[in-house]
Amino acid sequence: MEDTNDHRLTFQGTDRYYLDPELKSIVNIALAMEKPLLLTGEAGTGKTQLALEVARALDLPIEIMRAKSTIKGEEACYTQDTVLRLNDARFGSGQTGRQVQNFYDYVVWGPIGRAFRADAKVVLLLDEIDKTESDVQDNLLDILEDCSFVIREVNEIVRARVRPAIFITSNAKRELSDPFLRRCYCHHIAFPRPEQMREIVKLHYPAIPPELIEAALTIFYELRNRGFEKPPATSELLNWIGALELTNEIPDKDNPPLIGTLLKRSSDIQAHRKGGRRRHFM
Amino acid sequence: MFFTDFLYLLRDYGVPVSPRDALDLYRGLGKGLVRTLEDFFVLARLTFVRKVEHLDAFERAFALYFYGVDVPRVAEGDMELFRTKQFREWLAEAIRAGEVPRTALWTMDPQELMRKFWETVRRQMEAHDGGNRWIGTGGTSPFGHSGFAQRGVRVHGEGGNRSALKVIGDRRYISYSETNTLKAENLRQALEEMKRLKREGARDELDLAETVRLTCKNGGDIELALNRELRDRISLVLMIDNGGFSMYPYIDITRLLFSRMKYRFKDLTTCFFHNTIYGNVWTDQQRTVPLKTEKILERPEDTRLVIVGDASMAPEELETPGGAISFGVSDELPSTYWLKRLADRFRQSVWLNPISREEWEDAYGTWTLTKIREIFHMEDLTLRGIKAMVKRLSEK
Repeated sequence: MEDTNDHRLTFQGTDRYYLDPELKSIVNIALAMEKPLLLTGEAGTGKTQLALEVARALDLPIEIMRAKSTIKGEEACYTQDTVLRLNDARFGSGQTGRQVQNFYDYVVWGPIGRAFRADAKVVLLLDEIDKTESDVQDNLLDILEDCSFVIREVNEIVRARVRPAIFITSNAKRELSDPFLRRCYCHHIAFPRPEQMREIVKLHYPAIPPELIEAALTIFYELRNRGFEKPPATSELLNWIGALELTNEIPDKDNPPLIGTLLKRSSDIQAHRKGGRRRHFM
Repeated sequence: MFFTDFLYLLRDYGVPVSPRDALDLYRGLGKGLVRTLEDFFVLARLTFVRKVEHLDAFERAFALYFYGVDVPRVAEGDMELFRTKQFREWLAEAIRAGEVPRTALWTMDPQELMRKFWETVRRQMEAHDGGNRWIGTGGTSPFGHSGFAQRGVRVHGEGGNRSALKVIGDRRYISYSETNTLKAENLRQALEEMKRLKREGARDELDLAETVRLTCKNGGDIELALNRELRDRISLVLMIDNGGFSMYPYIDITRLLFSRMKYRFKDLTTCFFHNTIYGNVWTDQQRTVPLKTEKILERPEDTRLVIVGDASMAPEELETPGGAISFGVSDELPSTYWLKRLADRFRQSVWLNPISREEWEDAYGTWTLTKIREIFHMEDLTLRGIKAMVKRLSEK
């Protein structure tokens, strides 16, 4: 494996993504230490987006594994198209150039396989890892740590030429195993503070008058604090402000317009109409 | 090896650190990743903290070790503050310095007293913040002058980041902390824990694939394989102490926690009592509809019992026959008699106490609290307490 330290990569954020300075250090430490970075946090805190932006800013290709509960670790590395091979064996491979006796002609590489076989550094994103079963996570762990996996059918090892920059996201639907956590750097992205949120909104809507942003943020954070079942998150705020931009009216604090873009559960909307769901415990 | 005592401090604060982490930290230092204390803060946090519930503890340990600022584990505005060691120490110091009257605890408005305390913490933080200087040479840290300076790590001013101490001052992760009392912010996490509450049922579900396999192996003679049904649900009795001001903040949140989980229970009965349990409990919050404790004792043995209360009262309420203080409750038998019978009948029972474990030894009600602990298994009403409770209630 090449040592990539000489040309160290540093991530500075991009024009589309508001990067908290602390998060910047974290990303850069993880890049320098070549450790997988596990990002957790509420929906809408930009976990997945971060990996995409790192790839874009550093001009690296990205491989993405979107986890499903049915995924087995192996298919993230490779699968063998047995049916195609059987078909070719029976009816011939024609003009395709495939050779039935050549195993590799029938291998379909998964995102991990492609990342390991790449000639240069890539960003590897394992999205929503918590959806997988815990033994799958443990299998992936060894693969990621050694940066290699075995192709069982031919007993050959695929080893990464350049260690990829690995990002993992989790919505913490299920707790990840301790060994898994031990081998990653883990960062919990806290919900953006109002001043950070202002920056995020400005990135998305540069033309909006500041009074409107301020009024919207005040209402937004007040709503978040009321203890609704599903408190509004960043994406709801951005949609809401987008809608407000069209009306171009400063929202009324006591009766915010288009409340349905912020609150999604009908019980929450009803509670809001009654002026309710204050935090009565505490 | 330096920083060793920082590692031990982290362990004391409940952050599990391993030698492997320490080596990782040195590898990071060796790569020249740390130029400022802020960088070090981020690197150390990445290296040592895996779970969000440990983040607040890490930040407090860091503030204590590197800045000599001892931040209590409670959030600003939380009345729990009065039970912390930091508050007691501060109060003693403030009285000595004449900043507050000797009778402050009785004569001053609690809000005012809390405000004064947090002001001091903030002042300490500001005094340490920013600038180009050696860190860790002042303050009241038990580590005294042994901060960064003497170990030969030069700390140059601030990097591009907000300073570590400012970040710590935000207490961004306090609501996730596992020693934090249950409240709206961490309810979701507590619910995740509660979802683990289940019991395996009898083996009465046919495992078809395994049956086929076993039957083949058996030469065609049918061999049945059965699985446990996992959805067997449990009955739970929840008893809440709703007497007394001290319990108010916890009543709604506890009921909410259990009622959200209702679909997991075969049935859930909630009843109320004042301070401790005698021959009657009540099924409504106003305590007008009584329910005989005897009736509850008739329930099947595998019923789970969760009692929520601060277990703090006058000793005679617990031990004297007829010791109840509420009007209309007269009972020939002491409360301990009933508590013991409940604990004997329902082996899988837990007493949840909103007073955190750290304060049990010197809370106002320590005497009765200790007595009750001899009868019931007690946990505190925090994430870690709920975790332990779930484990206990799920056991066979």
